[in-house]
Amino acid sequence: MAITLEKVVETFYENLEKGKITGKKCTKCGAVEFPPVYACNSCGCWDMEWVEISGNAKLHSIVMPAPLSNKPEYKAMGKFAYGEVELEEGSRLNAVVRGINKKKRKEILEADALPVSVKAAIYQRDGFKTVVFDLVEE
Amino acid sequence: MNQTKLHPYQRGVSIIGVGCTPFMYTVDKEETNGLTEGELFGYAALKAMEDAGVNPQDVDFYFHGEASPLNNSNYLTPNIHVTNWFGMKGKASIHHSEACCTGYYAVEEAVNAVASGKYDCVLSGCVEFGDSVAVPNHPYRREKISMEKFLQTTAWLYDRAYTRSLMAGQELIYDDAAEWYKRTRGLTDEQMDDTLNWMCINNRRNASVNPLAIERKTYEELAKEMGFDNVMDYMRSPYNPKMGDFLRAGGLELKCDGAAAVVVCATELVDKYMGNKSHKPIEVLGIGCAACEATTPHFEVRATEEAVRQVYEITGVKPEEIDIFYANDFIITSHLVSAEIAGYLPFGEGWKYICEGRTAYDGDKPINTNGGRTSFGHAHAASGLADLYEAVHQMRGEAGDGQVKRLPKTAMLRGYGGAQNICTYIIRTAD
Repeated sequence: MAITLEKVVETFYENLEKGKITGKKCTKCGAVEFPPVYACNSCGCWDMEWVEISGNAKLHSIVMPAPLSNKPEYKAMGKFAYGEVELEEGSRLNAVVRGINKKKRKEILEADALPVSVKAAIYQRDGFKTVVFDLVEE
Repeated sequence: MNQTKLHPYQRGVSIIGVGCTPFMYTVDKEETNGLTEGELFGYAALKAMEDAGVNPQDVDFYFHGEASPLNNSNYLTPNIHVTNWFGMKGKASIHHSEACCTGYYAVEEAVNAVASGKYDCVLSGCVEFGDSVAVPNHPYRREKISMEKFLQTTAWLYDRAYTRSLMAGQELIYDDAAEWYKRTRGLTDEQMDDTLNWMCINNRRNASVNPLAIERKTYEELAKEMGFDNVMDYMRSPYNPKMGDFLRAGGLELKCDGAAAVVVCATELVDKYMGNKSHKPIEVLGIGCAACEATTPHFEVRATEEAVRQVYEITGVKPEEIDIFYANDFIITSHLVSAEIAGYLPFGEGWKYICEGRTAYDGDKPINTNGGRTSFGHAHAASGLADLYEAVHQMRGEAGDGQVKRLPKTAMLRGYGGAQNICTYIIRTAD
């Protein structure tokens, strides 16, 4: 496939406006890049196709926001944490996970429950939509 | 994660001279207020050349590093702005920035340039005004930059398309490594807190005997001044507040101003360049590099693992051969995490070495003997070469009151920064 100059970023955010969370899937090895980029970081192939993300994922680590790692605009998200998220499709990324406060983290850690299930959601920021994850209460 | 296989240098490269300014808050003192980029870089460059025994005309090329030249200096091509200051007018140079890792890539660039055979003798220097910004349209005046404004510019370290939008990558820099260490080694919250505090205490002890360090008052002295008999009670008190999930104020860099430089030459030409200098050259055995953008989970850990793997593979050096270790610790957790990944401290046991004071300059496993970023100071680009300056002085036995007990022969230095580059190298005193 020819390498094309494609507006991947704009398409990603336009898809969010349409309610779709999308990544790019490698046609050679099947790895999914999320967020989407030109080439596969698993095998190097640049023949990639758009794919909708299921949103099902696992949270592997939990870091709570603190004075250095919080911003006034984040308050609108309610209780949240940061952590390593693994998508069902295989990609791993650092992400925001809503529904976790210090008490909830303590419960999760004391139960030795990591990784816990989370689900992707589309979240409106100032002027654009982005992706966060929500803790799935099991 | 993708890996890189390194190949041997075309010829050996040795460090023959180092130079470093004191790390300073330049605008706070009459005698330093008004110093410019050319003056700081020029001082460090000439000190490195004097130390090497070379004349500026002997140097073929220079590399210039500054983390944030546009914001801090209103410079677009900062290597050119300083080029007339140290006797190398007309010689070529290049500027590079890898933010807080710049001073480590400064070594990578210089070594590659000589190892390739293109140049015989190269200068690599870095300068930063981390505590102030240039007053526009004035030839030398500067004004302080607040931490709040500084943090606004550090947002530019992160990818605009995705990372800033997704919010987590840039916020995890403060605590991700501590969370990872605590979880994978099974520490309690209290043990992790004590470990972070002891790193601050050890760094400050090291800085207290280093005349170039920006903060030399020990935490024991600070605790006493505030009425604490026990330094750990002070470290756990509101005088050292939690700024992160794990990180306390004492574990953050002291951003400041400074410059440092190194001169390297082909090992086969050491005698030609060093003349009657009596100190031994120090050979750069190898350099490993990796990078993990901030959306990558545990970016510091993963990139350090790869860079360390590369440098051990190409050099054949074993972890037990490392006598002294340096790590860019603008978030203090870095020096524990990287020392364990490098095998300098044993897996899962490094925190105990730190809490027992064994990693201070007078311990058996010294780390960051200059005081690290939290006490020596962090002039962002320049700090990496300041680490090398300290390592070289330790390896020569010229570190004064801060000299480690056993003369180090082999050192590892691990740079980190720029959301996030990693550059790790091993140096060894020539026989």
